[in-house]
Amino acid sequence: MKRMKLVAALLLMTLSVQAQTADEILDKYFENTGGREKWASLKSVKMSGKVKVQGMEIPVEIVQTAEGLQKVTINFQGKEITQMAFDGNEGWSTNFMTQKAEKMDAEASANMKQETSDFPDAFLNYKEKGYAVALEGKETVEGTETFKVKLTKKPVKVEGKEEENVSYYFFDTENYVPIMTRSTLKSGQMKGASVENVMSDYQDADGFMFPYSLTTKYNGQTGESIQIEKVETNGTIDAKSFAFPEGN
Amino acid sequence: MMKKFTFFLAVLLPGLLAHAQEAIPLKGDELFGSLRARHIGPALMSGRISDIEGHPTDARIVYIGAAGGGVWKTVDGGVTFKPIFDKHNQSIGSLAIDPTRPDQVLWVGTGECWTRNSVTIGDGLFKSTDGGQSWNRMGLEKTERIASIQVNPKSPDIVYAAAMGPLWGPGADRGLYKTTDGGKTWEKILYIDENTGCSEVTLDPQNPEIVYAAMWEHRRTAYSFSSGGEKSGLFKSTDGGKTWNKIHTGFPTGQLGRIALAVAPSQPNRLYAVIESDKDATKGLYRSDNAGESWERTNGDFELTVRPFYFSRIVVDPRNPDVLCKAGLSGSISRDGGKTFKALGNMHADIHDIWFDIKDSDRMYVATDGGLYRSWNGGSVLEMVKNLPISQFYQVSLDNATPYKIYGGLQDNGSWYGPSESPGGIENRDWFSVGAGDGFRVYRHPTQANIIYSEMQGAEYIWRYDTELKQMKIIKPYPEANEPKLRFNWNAALNISPHKPDRLYVGSQFLHRSEDRGETWTKISPDLTTNDPAKQMQQNSGGLSMDNSGAENHCTIFSVNESPLDENIIWVGTDDGNVQVTTDGGKTWTNVVGAIEGLPKNTWAYQVEPSRFDKNSCYVVFDGHAQNDMKPYVFKTTDLGKSWKSVVTSDVKTFVRHIKEDVENPDLLFLGTEMGLYITVDGGQNWSQFTNNMPPVAVHYLAIHPATNDLVMATHGRGILILDDVSPLRQVTKEVIAKDVHFFERKPTIVREDSPFVEGGDTGEFVGENPTRVAQIIYYLKSRHTFGKMNMEIFDKDGKRVADMVPGKAKGINIVTWNYQYKMPKIAKGKTFSSGGFATPTLPAGTYKVVLTKGAKTYESTVALASDPRSLYTAEDRALQYSTTMKLYNMTEQLAYVVDRADALRDSISTKIKTNSKLGKGLEPVQKQLLALKEKMVVTTGDNYVSTAEPQLREKIADLYSEVSGYLGRPTNAQLDRLTGLEKELENAEKAVGEVVEKVNGQLKKSKAPVVSLRSQEEFMKSDS
Repeated sequence: MKRMKLVAALLLMTLSVQAQTADEILDKYFENTGGREKWASLKSVKMSGKVKVQGMEIPVEIVQTAEGLQKVTINFQGKEITQMAFDGNEGWSTNFMTQKAEKMDAEASANMKQETSDFPDAFLNYKEKGYAVALEGKETVEGTETFKVKLTKKPVKVEGKEEENVSYYFFDTENYVPIMTRSTLKSGQMKGASVENVMSDYQDADGFMFPYSLTTKYNGQTGESIQIEKVETNGTIDAKSFAFPEGN
Repeated sequence: MMKKFTFFLAVLLPGLLAHAQEAIPLKGDELFGSLRARHIGPALMSGRISDIEGHPTDARIVYIGAAGGGVWKTVDGGVTFKPIFDKHNQSIGSLAIDPTRPDQVLWVGTGECWTRNSVTIGDGLFKSTDGGQSWNRMGLEKTERIASIQVNPKSPDIVYAAAMGPLWGPGADRGLYKTTDGGKTWEKILYIDENTGCSEVTLDPQNPEIVYAAMWEHRRTAYSFSSGGEKSGLFKSTDGGKTWNKIHTGFPTGQLGRIALAVAPSQPNRLYAVIESDKDATKGLYRSDNAGESWERTNGDFELTVRPFYFSRIVVDPRNPDVLCKAGLSGSISRDGGKTFKALGNMHADIHDIWFDIKDSDRMYVATDGGLYRSWNGGSVLEMVKNLPISQFYQVSLDNATPYKIYGGLQDNGSWYGPSESPGGIENRDWFSVGAGDGFRVYRHPTQANIIYSEMQGAEYIWRYDTELKQMKIIKPYPEANEPKLRFNWNAALNISPHKPDRLYVGSQFLHRSEDRGETWTKISPDLTTNDPAKQMQQNSGGLSMDNSGAENHCTIFSVNESPLDENIIWVGTDDGNVQVTTDGGKTWTNVVGAIEGLPKNTWAYQVEPSRFDKNSCYVVFDGHAQNDMKPYVFKTTDLGKSWKSVVTSDVKTFVRHIKEDVENPDLLFLGTEMGLYITVDGGQNWSQFTNNMPPVAVHYLAIHPATNDLVMATHGRGILILDDVSPLRQVTKEVIAKDVHFFERKPTIVREDSPFVEGGDTGEFVGENPTRVAQIIYYLKSRHTFGKMNMEIFDKDGKRVADMVPGKAKGINIVTWNYQYKMPKIAKGKTFSSGGFATPTLPAGTYKVVLTKGAKTYESTVALASDPRSLYTAEDRALQYSTTMKLYNMTEQLAYVVDRADALRDSISTKIKTNSKLGKGLEPVQKQLLALKEKMVVTTGDNYVSTAEPQLREKIADLYSEVSGYLGRPTNAQLDRLTGLEKELENAEKAVGEVVEKVNGQLKKSKAPVVSLRSQEEFMKSDS
């Protein structure tokens, strides 16, 4: 960590007061978190930790791969529940009542599918993904000065209608890592609510800097937190475990 | 890459002696951290709405602009609304949606366009290009009010903005503005003079080069209103605003006032205009069928001519040029091209805008002084939208009940009280009406809980109301014989005494005091105002349309306050700029305003706040906006008004209405400004705007509850907002902010025992937020924690870790909430979930240690829990409850281990049989025995809903555990007996499994096979499964 701060400090010193561009911020971000090449070579990430919500502590495992496979598994009373899984085409999850797998609605699956290239980071080669990035000045979040970077991804379908897919990333002006994101909930009862993900506890895992703590706020109120305990990169992943369990 | 994951889951009391407080230059977020305002509405009376706009192709999407409450969006036809403009000026004049990019580009013109006495100011034009998620300022900052915005549908970078301009003075920032580059630059394309603004702009939808604009000469002062003059007029351009012609053929000659204008969307040559003129015979609706070449008057009904400054809006059905609505006292609709009208259905009075659904004209939305209404049948019947907490309070006061109640009066919506907390949230039904008309100041009698005082405009009535018997009595003072008439402000000064519970004050031009709850009044002052006859001509107010509502009454007492330290010291502020003080209970009065330097003459003395720390000290807030002066004025005297110093800085950007001194720390002050709340922790040397969940709404009045330390704000547009427990701010000192980490002192948290049944909160109704019941650990961080581990743990007195928390990491004040629950027990694995197993034990009262670990450093503090003082239970009751809960908790975990052993044994036997079939003969019957044992211990069939299986031992223990842990008093005898029975059952189960283990290992030994080794209880507890 010390090394990183030093690097950042040096960078700061050499930087004149010149205007930053979004790309310069992203360059520094990648440089400070492992390097673009290293990020591009990442095949999979498995994270395990705890979800903390309303005083509950629930073991969680999150797996993502470069092929776009994703799975979030939680453990409740010794039973594994798939909170969400995506096989590259379709998403599914475990129904809490029957504990059987059920498919996501087609619109949600389609929206996920078009973001499979987000792994390992939406900003990595964002132009090739058809995304747009813009620096929208500075904003103080978490009591800290940040660069506000707007990310526009491909439009998503919401209730049959195409909607713009915009989110904001707040990069600490000192270290160039995002400490918060902000977007608007597009569906559900809370539709229209502002969702902020606050990120901290960046730590090294196999040469990558990952935020080990992530707290979600809804309209400014703290919802759930994920505390990561272990990160495994490029481990062995069983592709079959992402598939919808037929006939369950 | 982290952003994807969440998608997956869903005082140090400075001495009272005068001393120089050190400046604390901490600003904004760095100071306030995660302190956060709480919104409680109410939305049942809602508030004034100035504009409605709908999406051009999606009928479900509608926006409303509130007079003082920001911009709200519905995406479901008005069932739910969300605010989308909370970082900016909350006074809205007009909205526009770019018809070519309706999901992206929205425009907001700030500054309400309905210029009543209480109207405020905007600060320009804003644009969003991301559907309202974020906004950029687009100029016209000084125009005060933007009445209309029109986007050229063929070339959407061309936009017109009608700027009404300053209301209380002359100014050139008004007229019609045009941009051709999407708002980057603006050109003023139609301008008359410094007194005439543009009140309406509209385009021909088929040929948007045709532009119509209405110009209005108008002026307000604190004591008069004037609408109309030679300069008002209606103009047309056919070349996008390069050249203009007045289109008055058929209009009355002479002075004109405010003009409403509409183009029929389905037939753009059909125009409607409502004219304010100087003769009744020529006022009313005019129609043109030749795009304004000539006009014909069709109707002069009351609804068409009433109060043009407030109701100049015509809306034409998008499909039928003969159907049109006119805003008004009740609103009216014509279905014959404007010849005849009928009133719209019953709803709140004062209609400002109407929106026809884009697909079905039977569906309408109507904006009123009392919120938004919807019709499903063409405006005959209207239902209120009960989801818009945009109520406009003038004042707030509190009582000493637990939980405390909140009192206040509202613009055109009477007087109300409601709770600061209610089961399931504060709902519309929790509020009670305690006054009619416009409501202003409301107080509860300090010692008689049923008695409330309230008033209506100009103190026409002052009521004493018994909330239990529902009886009211009018208790206003009357002029004495041979006395001039009493002059009361629209928002008349009314106050109670901090010393004598039955004492009341009312201010006319005189100060009146009652010692018997309003039965008898004594005049205790001479005329304390300037008594300037030039400011007392209200009968002539209004301009072309007479408007003597009392709203312009002037030379009156506006604020009165008895010193909390000395009942003979009374301070008075008048609307014409006097500050008067008596030190002998009203025998003699001194006007001390002259000693204030830097204050323009006759600036409205909006509030007098005698200090609670020193009887010679007082704060006075002045509001100059009605003299066209938007600067903040806050002064303090420490010598009864002989000398004054300013306690406001350039941090405060707008005019001020209220100041509140904290109840413990004299350097902690709160300022209600026209654009939000400001706070100082160093006696006014530095001010910071409070923006956490707090829009920059006009804050008219503040109150602090001495028991909870809550700051309660009367906002004029967003209802009541509460900043719960400001006590951490009392503790901010120079020493504190120099430390890396500083924990603030906290009062013990009461472990509440009430657990009410909750019903309600249905979608469509606003539900206000309750205060938190959980404990809070509050600390200051000098810098934001971004790299490396940071965590927080809580330990009980025996050093046992009872909680593992996620600490806040922001720079500034962080608040971590702790629900003082021990973690859920580990539960036996079955086919389904055990609902009882999700229960958590409430930790007992006491002091707990907090350990914050940040990198290699640790920081310690404590957090204390206290039993509910309103409890029905004894300490022994609670101790038995906790020990019984924990016994059942441990039994739950014990059973989990027994079941784990049984499962592991079965798995192990299966493996052994597979590898050595000879073992099968002896061990297969054991497998059956184990299965039978398990079936008695946990549920092995069914699901979590309607296929629930018969409960087994796990469910029995967990259910009893959940029932005992959910009630903090003594368990019932029945529960204790049940516990004894279950202990026996658990013991038997444990024994039975143990016997099987021994039996199996005996057999294995005999067969010379390796024995089964099962994990220890400790190992089991550590594992995740």
